[in-house]
Amino acid sequence: MIFFAQLRSQLGSWWSALVHRTRVDNDIEAELQFHIDAHTQHLIETGVSPTEAARRARVEFGRVDVQKEKYRSAIGLQPLHEIGGDIRYGLRSLYKKPVVSLVAVFSLALGIGATTAIFSLIYTALLHPFPYSGADRIVNPAVINEEHPEVPTWFALTPPQFESLGKAKSIESIVGFTLVGLTATGEDLVEDVRAAYITSNASSFFGVPVKIGRNIQPFDVAKGMPPSNVVVLDYKYWQRKYDRDPKVLGQSLQLNHENYTVIGVMPQRFAFTQTVGNADVYIPWTPARVSHLFPWIKLKPGVSLATANAELQSFLNQFKRETPKHFPAAFRVSVQPIIEPYVHRTGRTLALLFASVIVLLLIGCANCSILLFASGESRQHELAIRSAIGASRFRIVRQLLIESLAISCGGAAIGVVASFWLAELPLRLMPDAFAQEAAITINLPILAFSVALALFTGLLFGLSPALRLSRPNVSQIIQGTARAAAGTSKRMLNLLIGGQIALTFVLLGLAGAAIAGFMKITSIQPGYDPHNVMAVDIPLKQDTKKNQVERATYIDQLRKRAAAVPGVLSVAVASDASLPSPPFAGMGTQAPFEILGGQSQQDLHAAIYLVGAEYFATLKIPLVKGRIWDQTENRRGDFVAVVNQTLAQRYWPKGDAIGHQIRAASLKDDGTPLSAASPHSGEWRQVVGVVADSRNNGLEQPTAPAIFVPYTTFMWDNTQLLIRTAGSPLASLKAIRTALHSINPEQRTMTEVFELEEGLQRQPIWIQQRLFSILFSFFAFLALALSSVGLASTVAFAVTRRMKELGIRMALGAQRSHVVWIVVRATLGTVACGIAVGLLLNLSLVKVIQHWSPGSVSAPWVFGTMTLLLLVCATIACLLPARQAASLDPMKTLRCD
Amino acid sequence: MGKQVDLLQGTLEILILKAISLGPLHGYGMLLRIQQISGERLEIPQGSFYIALYRIEHKGWIKGEWGESENKRRAKFYRLTPAGARRLKSETEKWSQMTDVVNTVLCATPEQI
Repeated sequence: MIFFAQLRSQLGSWWSALVHRTRVDNDIEAELQFHIDAHTQHLIETGVSPTEAARRARVEFGRVDVQKEKYRSAIGLQPLHEIGGDIRYGLRSLYKKPVVSLVAVFSLALGIGATTAIFSLIYTALLHPFPYSGADRIVNPAVINEEHPEVPTWFALTPPQFESLGKAKSIESIVGFTLVGLTATGEDLVEDVRAAYITSNASSFFGVPVKIGRNIQPFDVAKGMPPSNVVVLDYKYWQRKYDRDPKVLGQSLQLNHENYTVIGVMPQRFAFTQTVGNADVYIPWTPARVSHLFPWIKLKPGVSLATANAELQSFLNQFKRETPKHFPAAFRVSVQPIIEPYVHRTGRTLALLFASVIVLLLIGCANCSILLFASGESRQHELAIRSAIGASRFRIVRQLLIESLAISCGGAAIGVVASFWLAELPLRLMPDAFAQEAAITINLPILAFSVALALFTGLLFGLSPALRLSRPNVSQIIQGTARAAAGTSKRMLNLLIGGQIALTFVLLGLAGAAIAGFMKITSIQPGYDPHNVMAVDIPLKQDTKKNQVERATYIDQLRKRAAAVPGVLSVAVASDASLPSPPFAGMGTQAPFEILGGQSQQDLHAAIYLVGAEYFATLKIPLVKGRIWDQTENRRGDFVAVVNQTLAQRYWPKGDAIGHQIRAASLKDDGTPLSAASPHSGEWRQVVGVVADSRNNGLEQPTAPAIFVPYTTFMWDNTQLLIRTAGSPLASLKAIRTALHSINPEQRTMTEVFELEEGLQRQPIWIQQRLFSILFSFFAFLALALSSVGLASTVAFAVTRRMKELGIRMALGAQRSHVVWIVVRATLGTVACGIAVGLLLNLSLVKVIQHWSPGSVSAPWVFGTMTLLLLVCATIACLLPARQAASLDPMKTLRCD
Repeated sequence: MGKQVDLLQGTLEILILKAISLGPLHGYGMLLRIQQISGERLEIPQGSFYIALYRIEHKGWIKGEWGESENKRRAKFYRLTPAGARRLKSETEKWSQMTDVVNTVLCATPEQI
């Protein structure tokens, strides 16, 4: 109690001393004056003369100002008061040289802005991307197939299995869902809608409030009641289909001829099914709607992944005995935090970006140090006087540091504002690489980061000039005989400039390598012509066209009808949805095949594509040898194949591929209910033709061996049409949809179609390299600008310092060009050293950069170009202020001071 | 005027508390009262007097309010707060214990040991 009363009184007196400063000062003054007056009166009463009494009272008491200071130290506020004075003085002296201060503030603003931007990107994308409650404990319960360990897969559970898994000791809660393609009926054009059937505890599992309306609740599927037909819309679907109309609540949505009532819309950041595919609508799950569930697990706090894996393994072993088809033959559980795929995808990119902005920040700091050194020389007189009248070194260092902190805080304030814009840039340039839930906001950790950054940089660039300048040689400076810029600060300046140039060169090297890499990628010929071609996914209803011939005929009918649409040049079927390059190539993963009479029957792998005969013409893939199968063979599906040049050259290097027999076990009819295969699909086929290579394994990778067989060999419940049009393919989309509709009013097409050209630009390597090129060029440009400013101010500083000497030289007849040379000579030497060090750094970083950004090209010509660029910029930066030196009037310079 | 005594470190605070425990006083008044009670034997440095005064006001043991002095001038009068009264009591006890002990030790004669 006593302690709190005391604390309150202390806070009270601090508050009034700080806030009502004038009043408190006046009070103290009045009180002390009263004391002196009373004392004087007292002395007069004892017989001292009034003048003498007043004098003695004053002498005994001391100065009133000193008493005020004593008051502040009595209540412990003296240091604060001094710092307040330092801040005012510091701001005033910054204001007095506005150009230097502004350049310093902006140098830092660039560095801090870029660093904060990348930090907030890392924070948003990797540290805290998900809006779900306990997101760091939510895991994808993936299993790893021991036969194909590279790709983790999901597993499905039956309702009883789901129930029992929820009781595992390491699991806090579990949500189940299944994604199903539905058809939006009841409108003129049927459209595909992806629905997520989700268990009714989802609302509490995710803890994400709905955007509008209400979420699915357990009472929607209460026991003993018919499940209510309610649906919650995904934000993107709401945006696309309803144009974000809030009146959608209560409206009905017909899916597969059944009416559902819209009860809510999820917010934009809710996108949990992303790893398996986006959902358009969320519908409460019941066993009647879909028989199985995929689990998403939230672990209990403190449960390690290994513990969870071990416990789930025993559950899953039991489940495998019940439903063997849901699991691979040999597998192990590997739960994976939901952030994991994104760390894998963007971790290196972000690390490299962060490293480069740190370099930029260092360059900005070096700039500030240079400016402080340069402008500090002119302040030596002032500091010497302060020191002469008794300021301690600590006070002077504090004063100078407060000035640099003022600069860094100003820089941080501007930088944080700029960072908000800059941080969005990578998200826009790399849309698919980051979690859709990630949203950049300015929040507390990021602000704390930038404040810490401001303090840190303020100390970093301010400390060395402050220490140097706080030791003025008082007697020499006051007599005016000091040769300004003693050796130490000159060495320091050279070091700073050299370092700046070296770091700038590193950033330039990075940017150059990134641009060269991007140029290489864009100049790669994919081996086919993606221009004006689009891919349309076509789901086939499970119950229609069960037998192979019927299904093949139906698909051909669809193709022919699409080809008849005006503006369409050619249409091809590519039923396994694999296009010649990723991201689609993931589907056409390499499968084993055999060659008749071949020596080694093992380890032969090729990508196997199921396509129509028109495929090659549509994509303009040239035939190198032989022929493409004809329509009859296309309908039959068996006994023919076409291979690409890579495969032909690898196994028949003499060029005699045609006529050989190959077969692939994966084409055999596996009896799954959804597929239909030709009678001899897995048997020997003759190679009838060889086509030119096209990139099928990523743009940057060499072409993989490929085998093309007629799509009628093996058909699933969906197919794909590649459509080449005369103009923009999307313009013909509606006409094509209507045409397909005329064959079968129930026939839907997937809403999302993509153009192949755009598909190329969505490749990870393309996106990453473009991001790197843009950002690194931006950073390198900033670094170049900063270093140029640093160089220019050093030279300008040297010119001012040596003005008298230059005047004498000119008076004695030195050429103007010679004067310029004298001024820039030393600086250019430092620049050359900086470039040399930068080149060494770059060369030693080549391996690291290759690892972090595999698409970059660190070639000698890149470094050569960058050296040239840097030299040109440095020379211009040196010459601009040096020219000023040459235009000096010798008479004037000699007369000054 | 008797022989002057130097003030022990920290005792000024108790003296101030004691001085105003007898009734609100302004700073100069306190100074006079302490000197008067001590029989003019204590010389209090006027500078450090106000530091002590502000320090204990900051701690909340006394509270200053503006009032009018005996010769009709504006002056700041201090009075003891309840916390200050408690403090005075405990400090006085501590002080008398201390002097007691020190006295006992100092007045010890060889016979007593």
